[in-house]
Amino acid sequence: MRFARTLLAAAAFASLAGLARAAGPEIGAAAPDFALQTIDGKTLSLAEAAKTHKAVVVMFIATKCPYSNAYNDRMRDMAAAYGGKGVLFVGINSNKTEPLAEVIAHAKEHGHTFPIAKDPDNKVADLYGAGHTPEVYVVTPDGKLRYHGRIDENSEDASKVASPDLKNALDELLANKTVAKAETKAFGCTIKRV
Amino acid sequence: MRRLVRAAALVVAGSVLGAAAPPRASYVIGELDAAGLATRVAQEKGRVVLVNFWATWCEPCREEFPSLSRLASAYRPKGLTVLGVSTDLASQMPGVEKFLAAQNATFPNYRKKSGGDDQDFIDAVDRAWGGDLPFTVLYGRDGRKAKVLAGQQSYAALESEVQKLLQ
Repeated sequence: MRFARTLLAAAAFASLAGLARAAGPEIGAAAPDFALQTIDGKTLSLAEAAKTHKAVVVMFIATKCPYSNAYNDRMRDMAAAYGGKGVLFVGINSNKTEPLAEVIAHAKEHGHTFPIAKDPDNKVADLYGAGHTPEVYVVTPDGKLRYHGRIDENSEDASKVASPDLKNALDELLANKTVAKAETKAFGCTIKRV
Repeated sequence: MRRLVRAAALVVAGSVLGAAAPPRASYVIGELDAAGLATRVAQEKGRVVLVNFWATWCEPCREEFPSLSRLASAYRPKGLTVLGVSTDLASQMPGVEKFLAAQNATFPNYRKKSGGDDQDFIDAVDRAWGGDLPFTVLYGRDGRKAKVLAGQQSYAALESEVQKLLQ
């Protein structure tokens, strides 16, 4: 009887907590490796990139999403600023509705010179449990996930950012510190998988 | 005189035939932060409340919207209140109004208040929510959260959950 009650309680909790998105890696766990072709025809291997950089920032981005587009300048500027510190920014477009030509045009329009790749059949998004854009993951040379979530808390106004979470995480990692706030949340556009 | 009679007749005909109602000034009736949302839900105590978080840029949200309107109309007399909360950016409000007008939304819609930390808002709504849209929360007649539904739902799925809570 108690078992049945426990089962019922577990089912109720699962129902309350049940979310559609598959779970991605936990902070501190191995970040799933992937290899994708970038928009300039090169092969991007996460494992290789992680070995040759102090950190890799994997960003799920979009061409049409207002939330992702609100961060275009911030992505470009951070990629440039942290590129000099050994951090590689990578953009991944997993939206089925945004073809390669559109991704190339979008990158050109916004001056994105960091590697950007299409994610056919959203396999990488599925591996990471990425649900929306923009959503970022930071991977260190040991292949472990150290940060997951948003770039910062203010999608509407870059000049009023109070919690630059990605920047903080990178600064902490570059200083060989543990990331204090390793998981954050934000609204974003659902990755269009169908 | 004849012209006056004809004009009067046209006015009467217009009202009889149901001339188009004047456009509403605004479909979004206010902004809500997490505390405001909790208060708004509490105001409906005794009724089942369905809160849907959506945005104009969210395709599944747009597809789901007619089901919410239909549900709100069908179950309002039976004790259901449907509330919409747009998470669109402030700059997108003209598009939000246009969308709601085109949908002829049958339930009150708010906008998530600008400023503050989205994570605080998301966590206050539901800790297991990652911020993906659409997202629907159902509250029972006692005002307590009873169910969360992540992603686009069919009318049948929404109706089934509402019916359970209305019993």
